[in-house]
Amino acid sequence: MMVLLGLALGAAFGAVLQLSGASSHTKIINALRLRDWTIMKLILTAIGVGLIGVHLLDAAGAAHMMVKEVYLPGVVIAGLMFGVGFAVSGYCPGTALAAAAEGKPDAWMTILGGLLGAALFAFLMPSLETLLFSLGRLGPLTFHGLLQVPGWMIALPMSVLCFWAAMRLSAREKTSA
Amino acid sequence: MKTTGVTQSMCEGTTSTAEAVKPVLAPWAGGVGIGLVLIIAVALVQPIGVSTQYVVFDGVLLHTLFPDVAERSPYLADAAEGWTLETYEFAFVVGIPLGAFLAAWATRRFSTRVVPREWSLRFGESPVRRLVWSFLGGVLLLFGARFGGGCTSGHMISGVSQLAVSSLLFSAALFASAVLTARWLYGEGRRS
Repeated sequence: MMVLLGLALGAAFGAVLQLSGASSHTKIINALRLRDWTIMKLILTAIGVGLIGVHLLDAAGAAHMMVKEVYLPGVVIAGLMFGVGFAVSGYCPGTALAAAAEGKPDAWMTILGGLLGAALFAFLMPSLETLLFSLGRLGPLTFHGLLQVPGWMIALPMSVLCFWAAMRLSAREKTSA
Repeated sequence: MKTTGVTQSMCEGTTSTAEAVKPVLAPWAGGVGIGLVLIIAVALVQPIGVSTQYVVFDGVLLHTLFPDVAERSPYLADAAEGWTLETYEFAFVVGIPLGAFLAAWATRRFSTRVVPREWSLRFGESPVRRLVWSFLGGVLLLFGARFGGGCTSGHMISGVSQLAVSSLLFSAALFASAVLTARWLYGEGRRS
């Protein structure tokens, strides 16, 4: 039952990624070169909707939250590495799967590289752990937790900000096109 | 909200070898779709995530081939709990290519091009060069994602939506380094 639910949700996610152009190397690279705002608007809208939905669920006590831990500088170094991989391949771990399903051979290579990268990490993990994870380990912090207010009080304005930014990008695209 | 699906300034290649670049869904529609998937997932199970399942797949594969090697890694044993792929999390990740396949099939948008346009403009038509670099990109992606504890799905979509501090830090670092790398690799983005 849970497996079927996973398949269905994953399929919906994969279909939307494909139909939105997120599995296109061209779309991603031009987003990162700051010359095509499609993907930015997609992500901003997704986060805007997610913020409202997740925090309304949470306020109703119906959310299954899972907040990741902060460990500095590890999480920043990791993000920098990920960003280089993202720009070189033009895919992220999820969109590579979608692009591979469309028949793109370079996405298959990104998946194979990803499996190697994940395996490398799995075997380096014990030595990296003492070096970087223990440093600056601050726990699963959230902004509303730090400010000690209910999540929706920050999520709603943040969400409006995301939608506003997405619309500004659209307006900008129209004037410069 | 203004829809922009038809006002994309990108020119589209419609020849048989070129990839259909133009998205079917407007960004706001796609964004609402992704947001809804996240909300349903958070209501029923947990936030969405992809990159852990690369480790799970590695773990189960290694455990099938060399069980004692796999069991020596506590990280693998922990991620691939019970050495099984029959989980909600793995099914979600299998669903992604399934859904993308169906979407590409329904809209006739399959593409077997090896070298994407932006890559060929900068680095030429060599398929080997593209395949090698996309492999290396993949290594960095998943090493970074596992190091940071998430990827675009887990950190940027799920994490930022939960207002997680680590996810905002990861996403900001990701975005900064991806933009700098892309502008350096593919050239700065003047509209041509």
